[in-house]
Amino acid sequence: MFKKVLIANRGEIAIRVTRACRELGVNSVAVFSDADRESLHVFLADEAYNIGPAPSIESYLKMDKIIEVAKKSGADAIHPGYGFLSENSDFVRKCQEAGINFIGPTPENMDAMGDKLSAKALMKKAKVPTVPGSDGAVETVEQAREVIAQIGLPVIIKASAGGGGKGMRVVKSESEIESAFRACRSEGQNYFADPTVYIEKFVTDPKHIEIQVFGDKHGNVVHLFERECSVQRRHQKIIEESPSPSVPAEVRMKMGEAAVRAAREISYVGAGTIEFIFDNSTKEFYFMEMNTRLQVEHPITEIVTGIDLVKEQIHVALGHPLSFKQSDLKQKGHAIEVRICAEDPISYKPSPGLIRACRHPQGPFVRCDSYAYPGYEVPIYYDPMIAKVITWGETREEAIARMDRALSEFILSGIKSNIVLHKSILKHPRFLDGTYTTQFLEKNFEVIEPEIFKFVDDHVFLIAAAITAFNDRKSKDIRQYNVFPNWKRVGRKMQLRL
Amino acid sequence: MYFEAEIKGKKYKVDVVEQPRNWKISLQEDGGQWIHYDLSKEDYKKSESYFSFLFKGVSYLVDVVGKDTEYTVFTRNSFRSVKIFNDEMLLHESLKAGGGLGGDKELKSGMPGKIIEIFCKEGDVVKANKPLIIMEAMKMENEMRTSADVKIKQICVKQGDSVEAGAVLIKFDNP
Repeated sequence: MFKKVLIANRGEIAIRVTRACRELGVNSVAVFSDADRESLHVFLADEAYNIGPAPSIESYLKMDKIIEVAKKSGADAIHPGYGFLSENSDFVRKCQEAGINFIGPTPENMDAMGDKLSAKALMKKAKVPTVPGSDGAVETVEQAREVIAQIGLPVIIKASAGGGGKGMRVVKSESEIESAFRACRSEGQNYFADPTVYIEKFVTDPKHIEIQVFGDKHGNVVHLFERECSVQRRHQKIIEESPSPSVPAEVRMKMGEAAVRAAREISYVGAGTIEFIFDNSTKEFYFMEMNTRLQVEHPITEIVTGIDLVKEQIHVALGHPLSFKQSDLKQKGHAIEVRICAEDPISYKPSPGLIRACRHPQGPFVRCDSYAYPGYEVPIYYDPMIAKVITWGETREEAIARMDRALSEFILSGIKSNIVLHKSILKHPRFLDGTYTTQFLEKNFEVIEPEIFKFVDDHVFLIAAAITAFNDRKSKDIRQYNVFPNWKRVGRKMQLRL
Repeated sequence: MYFEAEIKGKKYKVDVVEQPRNWKISLQEDGGQWIHYDLSKEDYKKSESYFSFLFKGVSYLVDVVGKDTEYTVFTRNSFRSVKIFNDEMLLHESLKAGGGLGGDKELKSGMPGKIIEIFCKEGDVVKANKPLIIMEAMKMENEMRTSADVKIKQICVKQGDSVEAGAVLIKFDNP
């Protein structure tokens, strides 16, 4: 076992990893930026060290600084969490040079999947279905027109190095080709310093379905079934569930096998995720990309399979074979996760600031991975996600009802959060019948105020504000008229005398 | 104590009377009937940092943030901004000046963040619904647009600046 694990991350995922370490009897080392001195991950770890100023580029992304802290503190392994350095193969190599074990895939794994075009070529080789498209970079508008003539509209133009919703455009008619092509190239250049773009068939009824895979250093690879992550805002997932209500049993097995082939193709080590676009009308699925790290939504897989993925990552990093075989794995019941973000539920604008009241949901079959606490100030520098609520049910209906109940218990004030948005989604017919697609929030769901805020009567807000305003002004009045009429005092004295 | 209040564009008249054991609160939505509530102080109790409010038999945990004329009320994960004025005049002033961006004389930042890009320069006349500034907060880029035609009087920030919530970004003249 490792002596000490440094966690090169912050927020709820740093806490998640600390928990796994503690359960395994390993000491954990937290790192933090100037903005995170009072972050919960610092309080919960065994040791904690400052690694620099608030912007992540000067702290959580500073490879040399993190490795230096690992050496100084005597950590013999680094867990990267997700985001930040988790998919940076240079960082893995630096760790290896420093004699520190990186808990995650090999740098070769990351490089193979890091570039979307080369990943797609590899997947074709492994007979994993891919979306029809340009099969390589498209340099000119004329080339783009040719490719589109072959595969037919609608198509999506994507920046090769893109991600997080940046550098992609959907083209539905001939007239849009030129402007979309130019926009993607310039966004690719501006955000990722790479103007390369490619073109793919656009799936009209798309769902985002991904398969969790796990490999070890002995050549074993298994899959831990699917997660559906189609509820997205601004191309970022906010609700995930496992199993997916749309995937038939035989397609699930096919997807699992394809994902295992994909991971085998690159001799994958550790936890990874193969993301597929799933066409809900045809039940066809196409490889989208592989995430060579632990995912935000990993808890729903843990809940339905009963496997602690972070502990397994540590076992695999130690060189142990996987502690389970494919035939040991079953999906039991249904799990849902919602991401609680410090943001306006209607405009999705971030709402950092001071958390006043905070009480997390409890009770049967509810898990809450959060780093919020009363008095904590959510900083502006990082991701707005502050908590994840995960519920389990024997059936999908039970898991949804339990989530609705758990969200009703979640008390959070001082900052805005998207909890009410989640409550509205959980009641939406398209969510309930499972036919929602990745365009659900944009197209089927009316993000309008009266709907989202229907849960509370206006008078409740007015009365509470009015009583507070009254008390504020009353206390001011007392200071102004602090001279009580003397008659009262004299009267009391008279009474005492008698 | 008599107030005028505004919540999500709706105007109310509010009267609050404190009695030893009760709050007597009357509300009148613009032009509507007065509604009177007689609330026992037992039903509006402070617990921890928030209030437990039993209203028409329903249990709410309520937190009120703010002061002077601007309050934000949180309950059941909903929230509302409530403007409260003692003086009728104040309310009317604020409503006159109100309206969205463009009606105002300046563009303020609603949250702390960093200026990524500025699309206008001083002296420009910008049409309604055109982007003015892109601001980044928490890894998200937010575009701020005009809601009416404006003339740019002064730009108070430059690209790369970090700004606090409420900071003035651009000042306008009417075109």
